[in-house]
Amino acid sequence: MNLSRNFFVMMIIALILSAPLSLQAQAQESGEVKKELKELKQMMKQMQNRIEELEEKNEKLEKQAQQRPSQETIIVEEETDLTIIEAKPAQASQGFIGNALNAFNPQISVIGTFAAAYYSQDEPFVFAEADPENTGVNVQEVEVGFQGVVDSFFRFDMFLSFSTEGVELEEAYGTTLFSLPLNSQFRVGRARAKFGRINQQHRHNQNFVTLPLPAAQFLGEHLNPTSIEANFLVPLPWYLELSASGGSPDVEVPTFARDEDANDLGRLLYVFHMANFFELSESFGVNLGGSFATGVNGTAPGERSNLYGIDLYAKYRPLKNNPYQEIMLQSEFMYLDAQTPEETLENWGWYAELVYRFAKRWNSGFRFGIIDTNTPVTEEPEEGDGDALGIFNVARTGEGEEEEGMLGLLGRTYRISPMVTFRPSEFSQIRVQYDYLNQDFAENQHAVFLQFQYAIGAHGAHPF
Amino acid sequence: MKKLQSKNHFILAAVFAFMTICLVAQSAVAQVQIVTSVTDLAAIASEIGGDKVEVISLAKGYQDPHFVDAKPTFVTQLNQADLLVFNGLELEVGWLPILITGARNSNITRSNTVGHYDASTSIQNKLEVPTTPIDRSMGDIHPGGNPHFMLDPRNGIVVARGIAARLIRLDPENAEYYEQNYNNFKDTLTLKISEWDAQLSAYKGTKVVTYHKNWTYFLDWAGFIQAGTIEPLPGVPPTPSHVANIITTIEAQNIPLIISANYYPQKTPQIIAQQTGATSLILPSMVGGEEGITTYAGLFDVLVTEITSALSSSAAN
Repeated sequence: MNLSRNFFVMMIIALILSAPLSLQAQAQESGEVKKELKELKQMMKQMQNRIEELEEKNEKLEKQAQQRPSQETIIVEEETDLTIIEAKPAQASQGFIGNALNAFNPQISVIGTFAAAYYSQDEPFVFAEADPENTGVNVQEVEVGFQGVVDSFFRFDMFLSFSTEGVELEEAYGTTLFSLPLNSQFRVGRARAKFGRINQQHRHNQNFVTLPLPAAQFLGEHLNPTSIEANFLVPLPWYLELSASGGSPDVEVPTFARDEDANDLGRLLYVFHMANFFELSESFGVNLGGSFATGVNGTAPGERSNLYGIDLYAKYRPLKNNPYQEIMLQSEFMYLDAQTPEETLENWGWYAELVYRFAKRWNSGFRFGIIDTNTPVTEEPEEGDGDALGIFNVARTGEGEEEEGMLGLLGRTYRISPMVTFRPSEFSQIRVQYDYLNQDFAENQHAVFLQFQYAIGAHGAHPF
Repeated sequence: MKKLQSKNHFILAAVFAFMTICLVAQSAVAQVQIVTSVTDLAAIASEIGGDKVEVISLAKGYQDPHFVDAKPTFVTQLNQADLLVFNGLELEVGWLPILITGARNSNITRSNTVGHYDASTSIQNKLEVPTTPIDRSMGDIHPGGNPHFMLDPRNGIVVARGIAARLIRLDPENAEYYEQNYNNFKDTLTLKISEWDAQLSAYKGTKVVTYHKNWTYFLDWAGFIQAGTIEPLPGVPPTPSHVANIITTIEAQNIPLIISANYYPQKTPQIIAQQTGATSLILPSMVGGEEGITTYAGLFDVLVTEITSALSSSAAN
């Protein structure tokens, strides 16, 4: 570009220099000289115009080159292609910057879940921690999430769960982001264990107001040990992930507890999970998984609980000409065999939920859940008791003859729950649900819930 | 009893170990594996990469790219990818990040690697970038600007160049081949663009109502004016009162055309068209959005033809 400009400047200089010479040579005929001078001037003018034109053309070409890179630049610019320069429009740099978070800050999200509840009984049977506690308006959970990439090797996710009882560190774990042998990925820290499906779903992603019975019975609000977890993606034609984790159940769960003074790798909590996904068509996919968890249960040193689980999730969502309708079936079966000094408990539970999303912002669903336990029942499990299974409350406290009279009762409990959900946007939700609870040893219980949910902050991804 | 238990555990552990050891050795594939989030990017990538690459698009062309299920299958595909090409500007915010995390693949997980290409970073003239503080009462607003830039064919060239640059770095042996393909793509599309420009030029300044703001870049290129949307706010389904407003707008301004992407519900645009006499066009918005649209240029052939023929017939009436 510059070369051509220089060339013209040289030409002009040469012309200017040569002009006096040509004048001298033809000084005799002044008339002609004048003519020639005129011609020269015209020529100069033409040259100048030409130069201006060329310069304009140059500018245009340069602009075009900036807009549309020409062939030569592709190689030259490939280096800069990867250094991402935020090309923000000038006008956006006024008030918008103040609104934009510092790029290195974690993504913060806050999700509040509240439920107005009506129970048919004065002292209702409530199975999970974050289920609505009483007739009235309840805080189910306010979850605060901090998530971000640590560096090019790890990401870190943390979720605090606030309730009226206090704060729980629900999850805080690092995940490897880099390629490892055997397609493995590690999660280290406290995390919802990969046991079945519902245990990996945060409350606000669940389809019902209350937790399914088997999950509440065997895993509590959630099973979230602090552990080291390895996940392997097996290179097969379909998706198969194997997970294994070992750690400490340093949170209150019904099935597992820490043996006091136990300093033994064999007495940690181990969780294994296998997840398959079969994409039968672009519209229909099935997740099928199996889980196994084993650990001590705290009834006496070395006594173990083994929990087995099968989980199924099927989703039908026609993609063509059908923006938002989908049908989902989620079901889990759990079987617990727990050794105690007195006896071996063999309990099982099963739930299935069918959810139909019939419009962009609406879905409705139906759930059936059942648990069958030979656990002696107490009227109200006492909170904060160190014994995980909650079965010796009675035996140890021995309060009241009523409760003792219940010892050894076989319990079978089932619950039927229809619900309808309206989501005004992706960030808010209103849900109505009815629960019918039927128990062998107690009166039937009816409950109606009206749940509200709000989410602010970072837009979370939706797990499948 | 106890012994039996530990035996069981041992067997389980052994089975688990065996399964992990028995991982099938992955056969080295010579071709560059490209995974794109949407079909437009896949179409361009396969034109640039030719027979040296294998391209998979996660979303289908007839699907709303905002709402794609994060299927585990996608994790398997991303796990094998050498290059991930995605749209960016939060178009895929609801489903892609979780897949990238699950992919366990250094080629694509880090945003500063060659294999991680956010196409929006190449786009200079982003439209509808918020200039004032935003919140979600404004609907589904994208803080970085409107993400549907692939509907301006000139941006196709920019993105093609970006993809070519990445391929040249990933597979330097075939650099010349990619460069040649890019130049062919650019020349063909540039010629096409001038043809489309000529077809559209008669209708410059036409006012159009769209369902969602995914035609912003297209209208900007075509010289049309977006007079309103059927959605009251981005991502919010139409309400009766808003539909009434739109009908009034169309009648008052004599707007000839309503454009909706074919993954939106089609009832409302049809009702509005019947009420006002405007033409309702249900159009593909991505490659593969309709049978027979297999290339990026092919998409615009359909769009330009449909729009100009609709406008010429409405002018004839």
